[in-house]
Amino acid sequence: MEFNDGYPSYETMALHDEEHGKHVRKVIWKVFWIMLGVTLLELFVGFKAEDLHLGKTFLKIFFIGLTIVKAAYIVMSFMHLGDEVKALKWTLLGPFIVLILYLVFMVDLGEGNYAKSRRYVMDKNVTNAQHHEAGAAHEGSEAHH
Amino acid sequence: MSSHAATTQVKSHWGGGGVSPLGASYGKLYMWFFLVSDAFTFSGLLTAYGFMRHKYTDFWPNPGHVFHHFPFYDGSIPLAYVGLMTFILIMSSVTMVLAVEAGHRKQNKEVAKWMLLTIIGGLMFVGSQAWEWYNFITGTAEGAVRNILVDGVWQDQLIHGANLQYNEYGLPVFGDFFFFITGFHGFHVFSGVVINFIIYLNVINGTYEKRGHYEMVEKVGLYWHFVDLVWVFVFTFFYLL
Repeated sequence: MEFNDGYPSYETMALHDEEHGKHVRKVIWKVFWIMLGVTLLELFVGFKAEDLHLGKTFLKIFFIGLTIVKAAYIVMSFMHLGDEVKALKWTLLGPFIVLILYLVFMVDLGEGNYAKSRRYVMDKNVTNAQHHEAGAAHEGSEAHH
Repeated sequence: MSSHAATTQVKSHWGGGGVSPLGASYGKLYMWFFLVSDAFTFSGLLTAYGFMRHKYTDFWPNPGHVFHHFPFYDGSIPLAYVGLMTFILIMSSVTMVLAVEAGHRKQNKEVAKWMLLTIIGGLMFVGSQAWEWYNFITGTAEGAVRNILVDGVWQDQLIHGANLQYNEYGLPVFGDFFFFITGFHGFHVFSGVVINFIIYLNVINGTYEKRGHYEMVEKVGLYWHFVDLVWVFVFTFFYLL
């Protein structure tokens, strides 16, 4: 069906001139440097985590927090979701807010705590084969239990 | 008459008929909805990984001890290579978004240049992943003794590296998740390279120049950035945590 109301099509609405392009490119490179900086910081902390004696909870919040920062830059800037209408933003991101809440309560606070409290009992239940494989790692971890 | 129609169409994002909803073209909307569903697939995979990881915290291999190889270097640098891979993928995301920007200015040659660089970045990433898999499958020269199932009998055997049944570095399930999730992501990257290449051919053939807009570049760009987005999460959960 041909639809013609004299209004430009969505496909051509994003077109811009040289002047605006300069500004857009500047933002792209700025986002690139932020992403690179965040990745290097993550690698540095990941590299030094054992030496610095950083706690597991701290590392979890630190790494997942920075991951969400990077994800936000990709989605909002590179995928231009920041320029879309509010209704589209909520349509696409809304389901993930529910998912993140589920993951925080279920995987981390739920199963994570459950596994911690049940660890001793569970270790006994690990099958013969798995127990054998985990032998070396297990000895190391029992030292600080 | 036409100016009246224009004002009503701008205001209504949910307009029916020829106007697509939410102020975006149908093509872009469908790509977005596909990416949402694909993101849920990856969420499912990583959630399963998270549950197992919590369950076997004490037995989980330390990724820094597993992935410490670097090409043309015999020593061990934990996480350096995967850091480089992440850099390659972020860089190819930047070249992709620069291709989209050049498309908005209708600079055909510039779009072609950035698309080509994106494809090269994608190929470099897939190659790096193959190398990473190779090292994980081959394992160390010393290997480790593991109790594995041979012809229906559990027995101690010296093994090297990992596959879907055993893992020199720790729990086999770590290897299973690693192969499946990075494999699934790698296949996405590979598909992305193929799709980018098709669009690149269209660009150099002048298809979009004739059409008057480069929205196809924008659509494959959405997919390509999504691949980068998934890697950001895979990188965190597999290598950092």
